[in-house]
Amino acid sequence: MEVIEKVFLCKVSELAENQVKKIDNAEFGDIAVYNLGGHYYATADLCTHATASLAEGDIEDDMITCPVHWGQFHIPTGKAQGFPCEIDLRTYPVEIEGDEIFALIEADPALIAKG
Amino acid sequence: MGNIIKTLDVTDSLTGLKDVCDLENGRIAGKIFYDQAIYEQELEKVFARCWLFVAHESQIPNTGDYITTTMGEDEVIVIRQKSGGIKVFLNACPHRGNKVCFAESGSTRGFICNYHGWSFNVEGNLVGQHESGVYEDSNFDKSKWGLKEVAKVDSYKGLVFATFDPEAPTLKEYLGPIAWYMDALFDNQEGGTEFVGGCIRSTYECNWKIAAENFVGDILHAGWTHDSAARAMLGGAVAKVSDFEESYSVNWNGHGYEFALDTVGNVAVLGESALNKYLHTIKPSVAERLGDFRSNMIGSVSSCTIFPNFSFLPGQNTVRVWQPRGPNKMELFTWVVVNKSAPEEVKEKWRKGAMMTFSPTGVFEMDDGENWEYCTKTAKGRVTAQQDLFVGLGMDSLLTETPLPGNVYEGQLNEANSRAFYQYWYDMLNSRSWSEVPNRNVGKPEAE
Repeated sequence: MEVIEKVFLCKVSELAENQVKKIDNAEFGDIAVYNLGGHYYATADLCTHATASLAEGDIEDDMITCPVHWGQFHIPTGKAQGFPCEIDLRTYPVEIEGDEIFALIEADPALIAKG
Repeated sequence: MGNIIKTLDVTDSLTGLKDVCDLENGRIAGKIFYDQAIYEQELEKVFARCWLFVAHESQIPNTGDYITTTMGEDEVIVIRQKSGGIKVFLNACPHRGNKVCFAESGSTRGFICNYHGWSFNVEGNLVGQHESGVYEDSNFDKSKWGLKEVAKVDSYKGLVFATFDPEAPTLKEYLGPIAWYMDALFDNQEGGTEFVGGCIRSTYECNWKIAAENFVGDILHAGWTHDSAARAMLGGAVAKVSDFEESYSVNWNGHGYEFALDTVGNVAVLGESALNKYLHTIKPSVAERLGDFRSNMIGSVSSCTIFPNFSFLPGQNTVRVWQPRGPNKMELFTWVVVNKSAPEEVKEKWRKGAMMTFSPTGVFEMDDGENWEYCTKTAKGRVTAQQDLFVGLGMDSLLTETPLPGNVYEGQLNEANSRAFYQYWYDMLNSRSWSEVPNRNVGKPEAE
């Protein structure tokens, strides 16, 4: 049976517009949380191509660019945009409660990003 | 942060070097154009030490824009930073030394080495490797292994120069008063200049100094060497320089600018009357900006070399670097420079005109090539190489009462700039550091 876990990421006040922040998470793999013009998104932080933290990359419009080989992912959907990234990024629904941002994570081991 | 190259090995000067230059008596030996040992000293003491032209700012306007070029025989990447500044890196991976960028120009987020996947960002920082985990297991410090950065980068009026030597004087000190004359081409209109078109590359079997010295102050050759080219482009001979009422040779730190005050003598050989007209149109505003004197230089019979190997011709608007590729081989990088504010059709005429005259198939360029190659090749003969060559024109022509800045000599038909060029070259080869380079400048360091 699916279990949805609600994982606290950070406070709204800690994430300025068009910024990305890495949240360490040993259980599900590190999570990148984004503020795109007041809309919040969460994805796995680890690039699906090589070892790299996406939170160290640059945001351009609604894309995150990996800092190591410059592959890009579409932040809202996690879609890989082309070479060298071919595998989509896992995304998590986000919930805001007051000043706090949470990711809703399906605790199915097969879906957990390896970190 | 890529670590800056801090030390250079400096070997003692060659024994026997004393015999190759005697500029007080207007003599050089042919040997300096065909000697492997002298060439290796040049790479170390001239090209690894002096300020070298690497790019025009207009070639790399945005973050991540880059061009690749060489400083001596060292391959480098010149790249625009997020901060707006420019960095110059060795185009060589610090792991096994493989070349990391193969394109001549482009725009990028960084460079990835083909060999082991070392990846560098625009700032030159090492940001990743293939199998990065094994480096972490070896306590590898990523921050110490970025692309190697050259010691200093600076620009003058859009021209970007770099030096490998942290002890080098500032670019401003290095150029000295020659910068004041350079403004006649590079700062005669609001907005400055830009390069149009790409880089034209060609190879000559000649020593780089022959070409650099030709532009430092050898208008003498033009009337003879370029007679047929001038007749083809102009329908008449090259202007007779000895007829000019007023002309000068000015030098400083081995750089030299020789010029007349005829405004359009150089541009005329492009055979495009619209360009003569453009220069006449802007002349009053140049006079307002730079004064009457320099407004007469914007396209006049003139040429310049910034020591060691950066040259240009006002009027023809060709800008070039004579890249050393061995004692008897040179690669020429050529660009066309125009005022940013010039009308598009004027820019296009300059691009075409420069191609017709000073490109590998240009009528003037071909005239020079064969002469320069044979000036080099004759020195292959061991006996011929010892021959004294005459560089003695205008020995007593120094002007001491002139308001002009620099070491100013009367007349363009004068080898004062050539002597100053070879003297500086000789002084560099005999100096172990910048502090040992003698100051032979006698003129005013700045315009009054």
